[in-house]
Amino acid sequence: MALLEVENLDVTYATKQRPPLFAVRNVNFELNAGEFVGLVGESGSGKSTLGNAILKLLLPPGRITAGSVRFEGKELTTLPDEELRQMRWRDFSTVFQSSMNSLNPVTRIEAQFQDVMAEKSDLSNSQIHDRIGELLQMVKIDPSFMRYYPHELSGGMKQRVALALALALKPKLVILDEPTTGLDVLVQKEIMHNLRTLQREQGFAVLLISHDLGTVLEVSDRVLVMYAGEMVEDAPTHGMLKHPIHPYTHGLLGSYADPAAEEVEISYIPGRPPDLTRVPKACPYAPRCPEAIPLCRQAKPQLLPMWDGKAACHVAQMQWNDEQHNHTRHSEEGPKLLDAAFSEATSHKAMKLEGEEVLRVENVSKTYQRRAGFKTTSMNAVNDVSFNLRSGKVTGLVGQSGSGKTTIARMITGTEYPTSGAIWFGETRVDKLKGRGIHNYRKHVQYVFQDPFSALNPVHTIQYLLMRPLMNYGKLNAAQARQKVRELLETVGLTPAEQFETKMAHQLSGGQRQRVVVARALAPDPDIIIADEPISMLDVSIRAEILQLLDKLVRERKIAMLYITHDLLSARLLSDEILVLNQGHVVEQGAAKTVIRQPTNEYTQLLLEAIPRLERPDHVRASYVPTAEPTKVQVDASPVSEE
Amino acid sequence: MDTQDHNLKEPLEQEGLTVTQGVTTAVPEPPILEPEDDDVVPQQARAKRHVPEWFEVIWSNRKARVGLILLLFFILVAIFANVLAPYSPTDISFGPSQMPDSQHWLGTTQAGQDVFSQLIYGTRTSLIVGALGGGLATIIALVIGMVAGYMGGIVDEILSFFINLGLVVPALPLMVTVAAYSPVKGPTIIILVIGLTGWAWGARFKRSQVLTLRVRDYITSAQFAGDGTLRIVFREILPNMLSLTVLSYISAAIGAIGAEAGLEFLGVGDPSTISWGMMLYWANNGGAMITGQWAWLVAPGLALAAITSCLMLINFGVDALSNPQLREE
Repeated sequence: MALLEVENLDVTYATKQRPPLFAVRNVNFELNAGEFVGLVGESGSGKSTLGNAILKLLLPPGRITAGSVRFEGKELTTLPDEELRQMRWRDFSTVFQSSMNSLNPVTRIEAQFQDVMAEKSDLSNSQIHDRIGELLQMVKIDPSFMRYYPHELSGGMKQRVALALALALKPKLVILDEPTTGLDVLVQKEIMHNLRTLQREQGFAVLLISHDLGTVLEVSDRVLVMYAGEMVEDAPTHGMLKHPIHPYTHGLLGSYADPAAEEVEISYIPGRPPDLTRVPKACPYAPRCPEAIPLCRQAKPQLLPMWDGKAACHVAQMQWNDEQHNHTRHSEEGPKLLDAAFSEATSHKAMKLEGEEVLRVENVSKTYQRRAGFKTTSMNAVNDVSFNLRSGKVTGLVGQSGSGKTTIARMITGTEYPTSGAIWFGETRVDKLKGRGIHNYRKHVQYVFQDPFSALNPVHTIQYLLMRPLMNYGKLNAAQARQKVRELLETVGLTPAEQFETKMAHQLSGGQRQRVVVARALAPDPDIIIADEPISMLDVSIRAEILQLLDKLVRERKIAMLYITHDLLSARLLSDEILVLNQGHVVEQGAAKTVIRQPTNEYTQLLLEAIPRLERPDHVRASYVPTAEPTKVQVDASPVSEE
Repeated sequence: MDTQDHNLKEPLEQEGLTVTQGVTTAVPEPPILEPEDDDVVPQQARAKRHVPEWFEVIWSNRKARVGLILLLFFILVAIFANVLAPYSPTDISFGPSQMPDSQHWLGTTQAGQDVFSQLIYGTRTSLIVGALGGGLATIIALVIGMVAGYMGGIVDEILSFFINLGLVVPALPLMVTVAAYSPVKGPTIIILVIGLTGWAWGARFKRSQVLTLRVRDYITSAQFAGDGTLRIVFREILPNMLSLTVLSYISAAIGAIGAEAGLEFLGVGDPSTISWGMMLYWANNGGAMITGQWAWLVAPGLALAAITSCLMLINFGVDALSNPQLREE
């Protein structure tokens, strides 16, 4: 008997006012004691809902409408709340993305552990004290920290305390829902590594829910892939890496590559997930699937065993059946799949434009002073940084959070003034601009925001949002501006423009919103665009799409771009030149390929190691190269019109 | 998390845009991308429904529904007062201090006017004072609070000083003094007094709202798009806090109705006004308690209680607009 058995589980969000949303449909899987299983899917795929349903933590209007969840043979869906309460934390516990904020800010770390342990175990006070020390050491935090209050710890430490809390009563199953999302890359890496070691030592089972297939593949034994509320693949990690069975998994894997390789290429999945208020009668992935055959649009595939896992895919199933009958292919091979891709080779970097200098940053430093009592402490956010931006070229600014990337961006846009040094935009000293001068300067310098969900005002239509910069800077009248809005939407691939201009931001998907943000930045016809982590909030499967768009625009319109990121892979793909920033100092600077392939600085190497490295077999890579060129052309022609 | 997201992803209606949009931002943005509604179907659904979304949200709240029906009742009474009232409220041709009977349902006043007719006409004054007094206080609060919150720095310091001043000055004695010494009497001066003394709390409330909204990316984005300060404050920020503004408007209206009745009861109103406060004043002066004319005293009191409660009840529904988790699903 497996530790956790989920059978035919359905979860529906039903309210009186709107059609029910079938968030999880007919999900089956098992989890064995001591197993480390990953659950992966795009946002909205129902993975968190599934996690909450297993723990019976669903909030109304979400409800389990069918199926069963058994923990050690005990049916959880019908268990009374009081019995469930006894089981929680002792038998199964959980850590959420926001768990670090669930620590009570007014009690010490020790008291938070005591709460749990006094309630659910019979240990004496001194035993509890020792056990807390032990638990903290387990997650690599010095036991002396138990006297601290949560706000005295960093985000990463708090999340580790939350993990230690979840493990306090030695549960048999821990469900982790995006436990490291939002933390710094290096910290993420450390926590995941720590978790894996602990799990091996103590033998609890883990269900790790994440949108990031790369991270999951690095730590899990087995991976479950969800798409649009359905389980589409369930396969051991090593098998999935060698040959992803489902085309969706294959598409997700395409977003990862080794940035230090000779040729780097990442792919994306065009389109967007279906609307879950109507249950798809066919394969839900068929509209986005490059492999789809007519059958995929007619009948729903079942989750069936094939190769060394299970998958719900007609195409893979046929290939598997063929193989069973003809023995023409080795089981190692897996299905052959195609996808849309963005690579350094297909990027416009190859055009070798000689860009002229647009902006020059000269020995810029920024010091923040803080006064505490009689002492003044100063912090060097940026230290003696020099570089320049050239038209049609991308300069990558790489570093973890707190390295001074954003401060540099703010100084370039004139929202903050450097303590020393100068920033030249042509003949203009940017760091001396004030009031009206900044307003005029901003016509030339535009910004692409990190979070497309907060960068567009929810009360305005796309048309209004795009008309504003046109009317303010271009001095167009409303009719001209409206005409221009359509051109802009088409430039960023939102076609047909008429369909998009009347929409509000919330009616668009994340990728489409980010395109609108890009269009808004393009509106005043700027010379410089500062892109601050433009893809980090997007689903993994569509990141390459936005990179491709940025690349095309920059090269075609001869815009100088400062690309700010923590991710060396995207920096390698998009940038011509890379600056690695550590605590305000430029530790490495040079051509993108050189910096990443022959890093001389330890810090660059650390950042490189933080990228999930997936060993991909050759045949997957081979399938890209011949298709890369035609696919790209096709994608350019009809970039975003999804249906 | 998914629950909340689901609440947020409603297809918004064109007519209901402004108010409902306030809802979308009143709660933290969903951190994880969600699939959006498909393009075709919600649009068809939208065409079918005619009721704006914000009204649907308020209406689906039971308390607010009761409040709305009551308010509609009061508004109808105020509009058709001349039809509904059996006599003129100023007609002094009846016998003084009569007990309730079939001719005069609530009796007559000391001066011989019909109490029931006065009660019906008094609805007009209360509603008008509530709407205008609350409105004036809200507008002053909006302008001062939003400008202070958005501009920051020295402007904020100065405006905040006046807000704090408005908060610490005891409102009732101030109102009484201003109303008592004003050269003209009547509802107009009372509306002005209420508006000018009652804005401080609302201003502080809106200032703090703006402080949280002005750091949103879309405000920075509007700055990069070249929009000016006033445009950003009133076109980008204000629509996002509209449901909260409505909330504070209703609270201000409740305060205004109460303050008006209070001032008149204290005797600083125009004695010839027909209003519930004035009725209470005359009932008290006319010795209603001594002569046993309970209806003269109780009726305006109950009417005041009913109108303030109905506004309170509506507030529950508006609350649900700004906080989707309070909605009754």
